[in-house]
Amino acid sequence: MPQVTIDGRVLEFEGQPRLLQFCLDHGIELPHFCYHPAMSVPANCRQCLVDIGAPMRDRATGEVRTDGEGNPVIRYFPKLQTSCSHVIADGQVIHTARTSEKVERAQQDTMEFLLINHPLDCPICDQAGHCPLQIQAYKYGPEGSRFEFRKVHKPKRVRLGPRVVLDAERCINCTRCVRFTDEISRSHQLTIIERGVKNYPITPPGVEFDEPYSMNVIDVCPVGALTSVDFRFQARIWEMTRTPSIATTHAKGSNCFLWVRDNLVLRITPRPNPEVNEYWLADEDRLCYRQFNEDRPAGPQVRNAAGTLEAVSWEQAISTAASVLEKAGAGAAFVGSARATVEDNWLLIQLAEQTGGQVVGFMEHIEAGHGDGWLRTDERAPNSEGCRRLGMTPVDGTMLRARLEDGTITALYVLEDDVIGLLSAADLQEVSVIVHHYHTTNRTLEVAAAALPAAMSAETIGTYVNLDGYAQRVRPAKVIQGASRTLMMQMGLSRADRHGTPFDRWYNETHYINCKPSWELLPAVAEALGAKVPAGGPRRIMEQISQRCDAFRGVSYKAMGLEGMPLPASIQLEAA
Amino acid sequence: MADFIRNPVVALPESDPEPHFSAVELVFTDGEKDEIARRIKQYPTADGAVMWVLWLAQEKFGFLPPEVLRLVASALDLPYAQVYGVATFYTQYYKGKKGKFVLDVCTCFTCQFCGGYDMLAYLEEKLDIQRGHTTPCGTFTVQEVECLGACGSAPMLQVSNGSYVHNLTRAKVDAMLEALQQGEQLPFVSLTLPQDEDEMGGNRRTDAEASELYQTPPASRATQ
Ligand code: SF4
Ligand code: FES
Ligand code: FES
Repeated sequence: MPQVTIDGRVLEFEGQPRLLQFCLDHGIELPHFCYHPAMSVPANCRQCLVDIGAPMRDRATGEVRTDGEGNPVIRYFPKLQTSCSHVIADGQVIHTARTSEKVERAQQDTMEFLLINHPLDCPICDQAGHCPLQIQAYKYGPEGSRFEFRKVHKPKRVRLGPRVVLDAERCINCTRCVRFTDEISRSHQLTIIERGVKNYPITPPGVEFDEPYSMNVIDVCPVGALTSVDFRFQARIWEMTRTPSIATTHAKGSNCFLWVRDNLVLRITPRPNPEVNEYWLADEDRLCYRQFNEDRPAGPQVRNAAGTLEAVSWEQAISTAASVLEKAGAGAAFVGSARATVEDNWLLIQLAEQTGGQVVGFMEHIEAGHGDGWLRTDERAPNSEGCRRLGMTPVDGTMLRARLEDGTITALYVLEDDVIGLLSAADLQEVSVIVHHYHTTNRTLEVAAAALPAAMSAETIGTYVNLDGYAQRVRPAKVIQGASRTLMMQMGLSRADRHGTPFDRWYNETHYINCKPSWELLPAVAEALGAKVPAGGPRRIMEQISQRCDAFRGVSYKAMGLEGMPLPASIQLEAA
Repeated sequence: MADFIRNPVVALPESDPEPHFSAVELVFTDGEKDEIARRIKQYPTADGAVMWVLWLAQEKFGFLPPEVLRLVASALDLPYAQVYGVATFYTQYYKGKKGKFVLDVCTCFTCQFCGGYDMLAYLEEKLDIQRGHTTPCGTFTVQEVECLGACGSAPMLQVSNGSYVHNLTRAKVDAMLEALQQGEQLPFVSLTLPQDEDEMGGNRRTDAEASELYQTPPASRATQ
């Protein structure tokens, strides 16, 4: 196998890897800015320079020349090379800044140039703390600046579009943002204008940077030049916890991180997953973060004699729900939801079986024409495929209404969704409705006999199956009131969580929502009915699902890990 | 464009200026279209022809406001943003309306050393305008530009993307302004390097209307 020597370490390689990527893959850090694995390689930042030598060959014979001791004679390229664009070849000898003073000096000097007109406003910059420029200036940069002149001032606070703000002074002209719009999203809305010290990226006159994937440029920008209109100046990076999760506004199941401070989700950023979303995330998947913080219920409620919803204890609410189901018996209809996890929908099916009622289907959320064949889909909920694989079908509104009218349905159990819209409030006058709701704006509350606040995807544990049949997990990113040990064990911890105590000044217990995950509520309702529904946390529930349900054979939390796993495709057709 | 050295501020271009040309005016004739098609064929991809088509558009419309850039982009089937990026890179493409004569004074490295800024300041004073501006009568625009590739005869300037005026002195500037105002065409001057003096009577180019012998300008000239 061909091999290269990097800083004296001999490594084998296959194919034609580029040096920078090869080094990164082998844990050898090389400073770089413009290179991005998903985009073309312009080699314009010059930060990734290395010294490369190749074995000398005899012109006539093509043989590698050797010195007296039989070692190949290495001839170095006259100038340093950019590792991002260099395709490695057999026998090459590479020196990074670790073993070459020349490279170290070159990287320092490049950095000095990059910083000449940089405003050095890290103390007020959103990128500080996770800024490649900051980190690399610290690691590979010069001690200080020798530039004693006026810095070039470029436009600041430029709204490129409705979601992205540019600070051109911070920009190092790596062109990643421009390449994103040219090569990945193909909106071609950005370009670099002017030249020399004057250049920076912007939209041409009359064009707004409003494509549905615009916010990805914020993530690819290696400095703080591009920031989010929404998140600008909201929090410092080290104040937040970052929990791996799944985006919920489309059925693609794009992988994301939820960033939480003080128990509020402040932003959502993409989490790379080559099988699903690569490095990208649609703007809608990011901007939905407010739903986790706003309009959340204050606790369980039941409808009192006066006909209004009244706050009660969890026990009371659960026993009300149980007695409604008991009274209805076979007249109880259960509605699942594409917003709820596989575990919760499956528990709903189990509860229905126990009470003799019937699952009438799941709520799907189709917005025809919304999808683009990439990360945005017509389906605006994360788990319709999961529901289908559990054998559920989308609820048929007409059929349901007919059955409500002829009185065969006397109670309706709605899991984590809103049936008003599919049905009208008038349709539900005669029925007792139990709803697990996320928000106080859920219109089913108007007709609910018992309202049980449910944990959202940012607060629970569970599985979603995306439209390609890829099963992935969500993890709790924020704490809810009375969170169970199961939830806490899975929780991402912030620095304050890890090192703080409740007596610290910054310790904050606000924004704990009084809700419970449905995988706690459904078994509790069953228990109040005297029935038994598997309990014991979502991990065990998934174990049971994979044993009892063919479509989920082999699925476990361990197998899904952080990147998810594909489910067998054949089942998909059968259920559909 | 005020003095960039003393006040280095890059302005934001106007985000959506009023168009200068109507939809009726914004067309290429069939002849022009054929020529564009022919140029595109000379390159592997259409982007190769972008500079030429921008040039054509500038000759036709006088300058390149956004609506003309859009026309160029659609003629080449390229993204408008890309065409805009190319047009802003070169000072030779006029993004706004200019005077009858555009005086591009080089203030890049060599010219700067040899007195480019003095010449620029002299022009500004003489025409009573700031760089980047046009005289009220609309005759002259003065611009500060980067290296025009004639460093050997620095300081120099170029008139309306055409003739070069080499080895500038105040007297030469005066004479040039006078000539332009009189409606005279400035000749295309070829500069001759010492080593070429023996050949072709000192003139390297047979198509040049005039030639100047190479001199070492200007500091050492004073001592000669
Ligand atoms: S704004 Fe950021 S991503 Fe775009 S060119 Fe500048 S540094 Fe690169
Ligand atoms: S990463 Fe290689 S030149 Fe920018
Ligand atoms: S520096 Fe003026 S022409 Fe080169």
